[in-house]
Amino acid sequence: MSHHIDGSRNSCALHGALQLIEAIDGVVPVVHSNSGCGFHHFLGVNRTSGSGVACGSPPLSSSNVTEKHVVFGGSSRLREQLKNTVKVVDGDLYFIVSGCSTEMVGDDIPAMTKEGRDQSFPVVFANTPGFRGSVHHGYQLATKALIDQLPELRKQHPETPGQLVNIWGIVPRQDPFWAGNLEEIGRLLEGIGLEPNLLFGNGQDSNGWHRVPQAALNLVLSFWGEAPAGRLAELYGTPSLVFGALPVGPNAGNLLRAIGEQLDLDPERTESFIETEEIRLHRHLAALADTYFRAGFQREFVLVGESAQVAGIGTFLVRTLGLIPRGFVITDDLPDGQRELLLHAFGDIIQEFGARLFFSEDRAEIEEIVRSLKPELVLGSALEAAVTREIGAPLLKVSFPLGDRVVLDRTYAGYRGAATLIEDLGSALLSGSR
Amino acid sequence: MTLLKSRTPRAREKRIDTLNAWLGSAESTLDQFTAKEPEQRIRTFAQSAQDDLICALRLLGGVRNSVTIVHAPRGCAAASLWRHLQTGGGRWVVTNLDQRDTIMGADRKLRQAVTSSYRRYQPEVLFIVAGPVAAINNDDIQAVVDELREELGVPIVPVFTSGFASRSAVSGYDIALHAIMKHLVGSGGATLRNEAVNLLSVAEGVADRLEAVRLLASLGIELNVLPDAAGVENFRRAAGARLSVSLDQDSANYLGIVLEEEYDVPTIDQPRPVGLRATGRWLLAAGEALGVESVARALHERESERVRQALVDFSLEGRRVYLSLVPSTAFAVAELVEEFGGELAGLTVSHLGRLQTSQLELLSSRHPALQIHVADGQPFEELNIVRRIAPDLYIGDGAHLGQLSRLGIPVVSLENTPFLGYEGVLSVARRISAALRNRAFVEALAVTGTPYREEWLKRSPNWHIKKEVK
Repeated sequence: MSHHIDGSRNSCALHGALQLIEAIDGVVPVVHSNSGCGFHHFLGVNRTSGSGVACGSPPLSSSNVTEKHVVFGGSSRLREQLKNTVKVVDGDLYFIVSGCSTEMVGDDIPAMTKEGRDQSFPVVFANTPGFRGSVHHGYQLATKALIDQLPELRKQHPETPGQLVNIWGIVPRQDPFWAGNLEEIGRLLEGIGLEPNLLFGNGQDSNGWHRVPQAALNLVLSFWGEAPAGRLAELYGTPSLVFGALPVGPNAGNLLRAIGEQLDLDPERTESFIETEEIRLHRHLAALADTYFRAGFQREFVLVGESAQVAGIGTFLVRTLGLIPRGFVITDDLPDGQRELLLHAFGDIIQEFGARLFFSEDRAEIEEIVRSLKPELVLGSALEAAVTREIGAPLLKVSFPLGDRVVLDRTYAGYRGAATLIEDLGSALLSGSR
Repeated sequence: MTLLKSRTPRAREKRIDTLNAWLGSAESTLDQFTAKEPEQRIRTFAQSAQDDLICALRLLGGVRNSVTIVHAPRGCAAASLWRHLQTGGGRWVVTNLDQRDTIMGADRKLRQAVTSSYRRYQPEVLFIVAGPVAAINNDDIQAVVDELREELGVPIVPVFTSGFASRSAVSGYDIALHAIMKHLVGSGGATLRNEAVNLLSVAEGVADRLEAVRLLASLGIELNVLPDAAGVENFRRAAGARLSVSLDQDSANYLGIVLEEEYDVPTIDQPRPVGLRATGRWLLAAGEALGVESVARALHERESERVRQALVDFSLEGRRVYLSLVPSTAFAVAELVEEFGGELAGLTVSHLGRLQTSQLELLSSRHPALQIHVADGQPFEELNIVRRIAPDLYIGDGAHLGQLSRLGIPVVSLENTPFLGYEGVLSVARRISAALRNRAFVEALAVTGTPYREEWLKRSPNWHIKKEVK
């Protein structure tokens, strides 16, 4: 049974699905729910995540059901809305997502989707009522819908030269640096001769999604990416590499090596690429050194964020930058078994430094944790701003919600992201807080 | 206690014939309200818009020393997160309803959320705000309220929003204010007689509220501001105050009615103090009612002179301006635009009801052919209209300026720009002046184009507005 949440930061399944849809060019969400669902998403997710939304407004199509539809059913309203969406909003794929009220009433969304397809509208659907879970579940529901239903719309797939790698597990906006992170990971994959399938942001459109079945590998960068990768293994037998963390700094090299091994790439090419990147990073570290000691980088810190971010950024801070971990707070609602796995991934750092690992999405609980650990530095979200002020430590906002940061293609992933993270951390330390 | 007996106030559509979809000349719009009961219209294509839940959460988040319990799945608290990050205030807890709760009900979960939030924060008041799931399931919120009020000894206010019962999001303000007055004040108003004057400020920007406070305070009035930044005590005092001065005939309308009808506190209900003339009228009306007319007049003259000097030669002469705002702000800013010498090119208002008929009459008498569009967040219609009209400037307060601006038209957002009182005139003039002096950004935006099909943009903008078949 779910529990109430104080100051919640993980919005609902519908919002998670919308985050995904709005990150793909030419895909138009058709919200079948009351008018406020899409607006809540715009205010509470898009505006708070630091990055705007490509359409420049709340969702472009919403059936806005009212009392009448709640009482008598809203299927016919959806029929009308879908037909008119195709005429008004430019797009090459229309994606129906449902909210709580229409699901409770029992509107037949698959039937309406089929009717749309019979009129040759390119349309898919996912049942995404908010009561089905968090944004992360919405990401899973929407990716599954695309994986399962796109082949029904277009039988012929575009040709894919080279070895294609699908990247899973980065939830747009819930990782505020999603677009830049994907771009950097794509750059790294290209560096060792692969073709990345970023799927989100950076001008990605439905073509990339049509190519998903042809991939040579599914790269899984958080627990939430395991579901789509698992589905693709079932349907097409595509192998997966589960990394479960955002690769930051030297860890990116480890990731590239693992991929190279799995896909049997030329190890010399891989190593030479990694070496170039490492040299660059070490040049940055050398340039940083004066500031590092002057600003007192080596602080005890608490890191609050999504599991993949915490695992990736945390490892870099400890293993490369030499900071001292006091605690890690994982805010995505991982199922229990996964928590154990993450504990394993962190086992060495936690043991060596006696750091604590917490799982919580409750703001009051997280504030208590930060208060009791009294770190000298906090990396977290805007929701940690008050408690960080209270303990007099600087805060670097790295996780959702960012509130007052603007993010376009900033990244904290890979080698470039490691350098950016150092820049932002250093600036936060020098200015006292941010 | 007659008005407050019911669980919720009547929805705006029913109470004051509020329209949410319409396009027509000012004259024909006025006809809707004078001839007969206006006909409700609906859209056969629609886009996301605010709902009563969002308005209620915005209002409640501003109540001091309170905790809002959102009784709903997670997503329904998203607007609270936004509000918190905007203002730094507003504690909220979501009951996080899941699939099982939609079948079995979730009274126990609600009880836990209320109890633990009370223990944690010891607030003066807790609000329970119902979302669509609780409304459809008919969860017995009242029973939980009755039980815990007794057990915890703290006011607990149930706010029965639904997300679907009204097409007018502002109904959420009415529902929240009804609940607050019913449960925090109730029938105890008469015992609280005091000399204060209520300033009714509903979800106003902080700078705007402070400007109104500054002006009224200069009249030597003891002020009681509510509901923005108010605590429980302010609501109680309000019921015994001398009178109320409203900052917004629309959003504060219901609070004014409750104070008048239930507690005999009269309301000065002038149009919003936007621009020099309207601010003067607003201030003088308050001064007159309080017997300090000459002080008000002197203040108005002094402030007007100051503003006129600061404006130097700012003018909108020869500029056609399109407005897209909540209705009371729209009519008020329309007057300001004309005060600046500009010409009105058209108006989009988020809703329109009997509260606006006198302002509509005035507008229609001067500009009978001016086009009035009624839409809350329907940028597909607005882009279509504004592209045809091609104004020199667009002033809006909606969530779709990021899309509309792709038409390459200079945009001024009033979402965070103070616009009330004398200071408001200066700040709006500064924003307008900047928007017109340098169009580089909107011109760069225009490269991106709109998200709509050209066929739609060529179609009549009211194509999807139809009479409702009952």
